[in-house]
Amino acid sequence: MSTVLLVGTGQVGIRAARQIVDTPGCERLLVASADPARATGLAASLHAGAEGLPEHGAVVPADVAAVVVTTGGTRAREWVRAAVAAGVPVATLHDGLGPELDAPARAAGVPVVSGAAVTPGLSDLLARHAADLFDRVDEVHVARAGAAGPACVGEVRSVRAAVPGEWRDGAWIADRAYGPQLVWFPEPVGVRECQLVQAGVAATVATVPDAGLVTVRWCGAPSTGWLSTRVRRNPVDAGWGATRVEVTGLRSGATDTVVYGAVDRTAVMAGAVVATTAVALAGLLPGLVVATPGVRALGEVAVALPFLTELAGRGVRAAAFEGVLPSA
Amino acid sequence: MRNLRRGLLVAGMAILAGVVVRFRGRNPVPPTTGGWRALEGEALR
Repeated sequence: MSTVLLVGTGQVGIRAARQIVDTPGCERLLVASADPARATGLAASLHAGAEGLPEHGAVVPADVAAVVVTTGGTRAREWVRAAVAAGVPVATLHDGLGPELDAPARAAGVPVVSGAAVTPGLSDLLARHAADLFDRVDEVHVARAGAAGPACVGEVRSVRAAVPGEWRDGAWIADRAYGPQLVWFPEPVGVRECQLVQAGVAATVATVPDAGLVTVRWCGAPSTGWLSTRVRRNPVDAGWGATRVEVTGLRSGATDTVVYGAVDRTAVMAGAVVATTAVALAGLLPGLVVATPGVRALGEVAVALPFLTELAGRGVRAAAFEGVLPSA
Repeated sequence: MRNLRRGLLVAGMAILAGVVVRFRGRNPVPPTTGGWRALEGEALR
């Protein structure tokens, strides 16, 4: 009997819960939230095998096969730490857990997959899938637009406000102030101004370690207020999001570029990715993830092709750009 | 009073310039040649 523990009942958590209970072999879903009533309500809306967990701190119950962490900040770290202490694999949306939790996870022999969302996450799967087409990969450029819930909007704003950075020739370059760049996403997101950020670069480098240049660009957070939607130039996405990956390298003796993308509701994409990662770590979807102890990026441990095929079966479909690449 | 008028004039000109820049920024973006094709079946190889 496989039991999965879901922590967080935000926009992504709700979508992840549905994906988990729809996975064959998953017989029980426990839902934990800072608001116990919300956890109980979400469990009641699913099926008989789901139940809300009265949360008395971060404690992983016995017989849990995998933990999905969709909350952020301190609570996310507490739950990941608790899962590592309990010896249970973890999938989390959040990037940057490595410096703090990698050593304990390795010592405990527990796989922790961080950044299992859209970017990082789905974009890394697309980057790996594209990179497999090349004999040599020179550049990987990732872009992302959209945000899920209010917490995600805040995350987008803080990431764009932080110092940008890129991976160039085996070293971090973080000393330039870059302007925005136009990026063509699949419709209905379309063309967006995206700004260079540092978040997600490490995950992409871990996914395609041979690439000489890796950049990640994020579009601004969607405007939500009455005034900001009229004055500011940020888009009104209404939940839509997209990711785009451009890989350049040597293929059959010639330089070529492959562009992959995906578009859907941001929460749906992130929920599907983190849920699929968790059920794979729980052993319900064999062959999708190589469970390696320590904190790892999704693209580092996932087998891209079967993982993307599984996501397509769950409604999150990738697309390839065919045509002449526009130069902004 | 004179300084106030000058200040208001400068503020008004700044707002006008801001509005012009705001709406001139709505030019169409460069078109693309091509489109997106879903990866499925053989394409998701």
